[in-house]
Amino acid sequence: MRDVAIVGVGMHPWGKFEGKNFIDLGVDAVAKALADAGMKWEEIQTICSGIFIWGGNAGHLSGQYIASVFGETGVPIVNVYAACATGSSAMRTAYMSIASGQVDVALCLGVDMSPKGVLTAKSDNPQQDMDVLRWRMVGLSNPPYWALECKKRMEKYGTTERDLADVKVLLSKYGSQNPNARYKKLYTRDEVLGSVMVCDPLRLYEICATSDGAAALILCAADKAKEYASKPVKVAATTIGSSIYGDPTLRISALSAPAKAEAPLLSESYSASRQAYEMAGIGPEDVDVLELPDNSSWHYLQYLETCGFCGEGEAEKMLAKGETEIGGKVAVCPSGGFSSFGEAIGAQAIWQVAEVVTQLRGQCGPRQVKNARVGMAQTYGLMGNSGTTILEV
Amino acid sequence: MSQQEQAANAVPAYPGLFTEAQDGVHLMSARCGDCGTHFFPKNHQQHRPGCSRGPVDEVLLHRKGKLASFTTLHYMPPKPFKTEKDITPFPMGMVEFPEGIQVVGIITDCSQDDLKMGMEMETVAYTLYRNEDGQRVQTWGFRPVK
Ligand SMILES: [Zn+2]
Repeated sequence: MRDVAIVGVGMHPWGKFEGKNFIDLGVDAVAKALADAGMKWEEIQTICSGIFIWGGNAGHLSGQYIASVFGETGVPIVNVYAACATGSSAMRTAYMSIASGQVDVALCLGVDMSPKGVLTAKSDNPQQDMDVLRWRMVGLSNPPYWALECKKRMEKYGTTERDLADVKVLLSKYGSQNPNARYKKLYTRDEVLGSVMVCDPLRLYEICATSDGAAALILCAADKAKEYASKPVKVAATTIGSSIYGDPTLRISALSAPAKAEAPLLSESYSASRQAYEMAGIGPEDVDVLELPDNSSWHYLQYLETCGFCGEGEAEKMLAKGETEIGGKVAVCPSGGFSSFGEAIGAQAIWQVAEVVTQLRGQCGPRQVKNARVGMAQTYGLMGNSGTTILEV
Repeated sequence: MSQQEQAANAVPAYPGLFTEAQDGVHLMSARCGDCGTHFFPKNHQQHRPGCSRGPVDEVLLHRKGKLASFTTLHYMPPKPFKTEKDITPFPMGMVEFPEGIQVVGIITDCSQDDLKMGMEMETVAYTLYRNEDGQRVQTWGFRPVK
């Protein structure tokens, strides 16, 4: 296996863009990544693209539709889907194409335009699609899944409503300083606690919105990276995890879960992160910047433990002591997180990697993590999908 | 109306998930004879790695279990969820059954203030709406044991 580096990143800002389509967003992100790498389109030797699930046949062939705008060159295009970890799958596929020696340069991209309002069922065949009955029989959208786990956490570890609010307060500070963020308003604890209750104990500002967005990365064989970037960012590991039997998490889509834990909570993410630590020879204690999937304040706390940044029930303490702030033990979501961006299913994992790259290059201005050398992007997708990417300079 | 007539006047919103037995409503599960895992819904098989995957027999879960978690939903879920009128806010929760499985469902006949972690809950049929024939269209639900 050869070493692989990231030499270009590009991002379309996150938000709602009604006058545009997914191709517009994707082309914008790819053009920016090419410009960032100082690379010509014809130099791309393979394309790994996240599927845009709401875009019909075109969305499922997102790579082809975006490539044709730049000019078709006959290179392998692979379109992948892994729910909210879609970008992680694209990233790993791009990485493997280069690490294996098959190509020297790969484009990895993800784009999404979320439908209006709450997401809902995509098929009506409960015999094969486990994602149907939860909507029809229980009215279970995603937030109650998180609220049910959060409530368990409160019972077990004494997590307070203040802890949940403080996550948003911190993330809003970083989001307000990120030009690509959708939400740039600063919030106080009282403002968060005053926001409308969505599903107890989670309030409106403690749950991420759904957004439109796109991000692209250009990966390159490490020995050729200097041709494109003055400061290439090495991919120390990029992994995918799936669930482990006996995981007690009520995972999104499912109507049941084992009562007795025989595997860790969020076992797909436990698996992805542990694979990454082993592959990189890097542990959580070495990580300066962590982008984790803060779909809600519960995720922020839980993921610190799932990925081994603290012991069970200790995340609230880490937050209260400022250990997750820029300047603390590990800067958690210095981008502002999903809290400031919103979810864009096919794009978010690639966006997280792009944010970490920008930190490791030292290009983040007021929210720059000083001397950041090691960064990690952790994703989470429904029904047992997860990915971890560890980067270093 | 007798219990029988009442039952005849109700249809599940989707078949094969819960049933009315003599002692009340039960969730319809399936159990693997090899690895012992219970599934719900019964076709959502999640065997232990290494299991021979069967035989899988349909079984009814106990009617009663313990409340493992709960929340109150303050917004109406989108389609295909359908009720006669806006039922928000309404509680939902996870009930842990003696078979070693937790199942999620709407909680009825109480408010969130009545709910406590670990309390005993029972399975009931919950009416979502009436169809064109006047039948009650139902799903499963849970309520505290009185
Ligand atoms: Zn089995």
